[in-house]
Amino acid sequence: MPFQASLDRAKWTFVTRRVERSRIVRHDTDFAAARPGDLILAHVDKLGQHRRVQLPSGRPSFIFPGDAVVMACGARYAPDQFEGLAEIDPKGADQLAGGGCIGRMVARNSQIKPATRLMPAARLLDAAGRAVNLADFALAPRPGAPRPPVIGVLGTSMNSGKTLAMAQLVLGLRRAGFRAGALKITGTGAFGDYNEYCDSGAHYVGDFTDAGMVTTYREPLDRIKTAAELLIAEAGHQGCEIVVMEVADGLLQRETAALIADPWLNDLLSGLVFASGDAVAAVGGVAILARHGLKPDAVTGMLSCSPMASAEAGGATGLPVLTRADLADPAEATGFALRAGLGRKEAA
Amino acid sequence: MNDMSGDLSTPDHQTITACSTAGKLTARIIRPVRSVVAPPLLVLHGISRNAKTLERLFAPEAERTGRTIIVPHFPEPSWPDFQRPSKAARPDLALLALIDAVTARLPDCAGPVDLFGHSGGAQLAHRFAMVYPHRVAGLHLAAAGWYCLPDETMPYPYGLAPGKDSFDIVWARRNAAGLRDFLHLPTCVYAGTRDVSRDPALRMTRDLDARQGRNRHARARTYVAALNAAAERNGLPPCAHLIELIDCDHDVERAITRNDLAARVLDAPRVAI
Repeated sequence: MPFQASLDRAKWTFVTRRVERSRIVRHDTDFAAARPGDLILAHVDKLGQHRRVQLPSGRPSFIFPGDAVVMACGARYAPDQFEGLAEIDPKGADQLAGGGCIGRMVARNSQIKPATRLMPAARLLDAAGRAVNLADFALAPRPGAPRPPVIGVLGTSMNSGKTLAMAQLVLGLRRAGFRAGALKITGTGAFGDYNEYCDSGAHYVGDFTDAGMVTTYREPLDRIKTAAELLIAEAGHQGCEIVVMEVADGLLQRETAALIADPWLNDLLSGLVFASGDAVAAVGGVAILARHGLKPDAVTGMLSCSPMASAEAGGATGLPVLTRADLADPAEATGFALRAGLGRKEAA
Repeated sequence: MNDMSGDLSTPDHQTITACSTAGKLTARIIRPVRSVVAPPLLVLHGISRNAKTLERLFAPEAERTGRTIIVPHFPEPSWPDFQRPSKAARPDLALLALIDAVTARLPDCAGPVDLFGHSGGAQLAHRFAMVYPHRVAGLHLAAAGWYCLPDETMPYPYGLAPGKDSFDIVWARRNAAGLRDFLHLPTCVYAGTRDVSRDPALRMTRDLDARQGRNRHARARTYVAALNAAAERNGLPPCAHLIELIDCDHDVERAITRNDLAARVLDAPRVAI
């Protein structure tokens, strides 16, 4: 099959959603030269943990051995699944994430299956022979765009309830009458969170993929901060009055730890929600944040499902513990917006 | 989310129904033939639920001033409680949905609304404005039975001290979050000089009588003083004004026909007093 036809029939994954496919006119097999974000055409070899890929349309697609897929070379940090590096072994690579991240798995949670194996077929190049990279399709800077206030969402770990907290707070803000943007500034590209933010009525949704990264794992801190600023500016340009911003994984994860230690984050945030799976973790997380001068406005997450855990966390941290219903309540969400300065403008 | 079905055949009086997690709320919209650029006025009835009367009495003022007027009706079967957000009911959510539905149909009505309430409607109006000050341009309160004072002299729902009940603790916090913005609102409190009866509809407790007054007239005075004192504590100019309706009792129809209450509301200065 001609290369272009093979490319056309391939399942392009969610992280390639911004790619102008017409830019791809050449290809090579110099996989050793692959860098994070480079586009790779591969074929499904053997199904493992991931039996589906996420499409740019927002729906999942089953994959079968022999299927062609287009993914981006990238690392992954997901304690519930894999750790992986942005390396492509020509003899075989791993599907690190359903959103379309291909690389080399180096660690796996013992409760999940091995990664789906992929056979790299081509590195995709432009007319000049340069590797086509997600960064080529990042949002353009928006100099002079209004800068909406930012409410941060951090958590103790993956699956502590951050995304749900984000989505519910966005819903509450929308019900209260605010145009809220939802941003995810770290993690690995996938449509689950993205779609949930869209469904909650976010006025604008963006993630690091829109800033040109398939994943933020092992990316330089300055690049992540620049990407976050880009996304916030885009949200302002799109008319958002306020932004809710998720930082993925737990406080001890490499990039998250670096971000909370950076005064940039403290200066950026006008509010903070902290998601935790249990009360002890909440106390520990709040203490870690305090060391960096960050104080959450509220604790939420999986622990809020339990009145007992909520009471423990609330008593030990002195912070309100909010359920998903609380966050989606415009009466609660309005408080976040007003504390962030969205109330009446007062004369200086 | 919003049911946009309405009676579009009579452009001057339309019906709109908004849906929310709290339930449906239907309102009449009075559209003047010539409208001016000004916030719509949302008119909230009291426990007599006399929305039709209020619609009839405010309609001429809509034409005179060019203002759009929205009169919701909280029917007893579906809204046995509507005077304030409570464990039993969330009329605030219904009002938010209603405002959004009106804005979706009538884009010129976008933005904060002026809010008028009588009796139980005034109760709801000032509590809505406390929690959602960004949705309110001006506040007009007539003859509320009692108030949520903007200070911690009384526990919620009488004031902003946390109280003991978990619901009240949460709502005291929510009300306090918007306090500074709320204190910016131009607020007119209307009190009939003869609205001094301690009728069965008036909430009476020893603490309430002692802290807010023994009747609606006295409680209105207390509330205005408390609003302006809170503004002063926050370094803000006083924005609350007491307007006495001479020889007026608790009857809103008489207040409108004899004391020009509707006209006063619509002619009130649109900036902080």
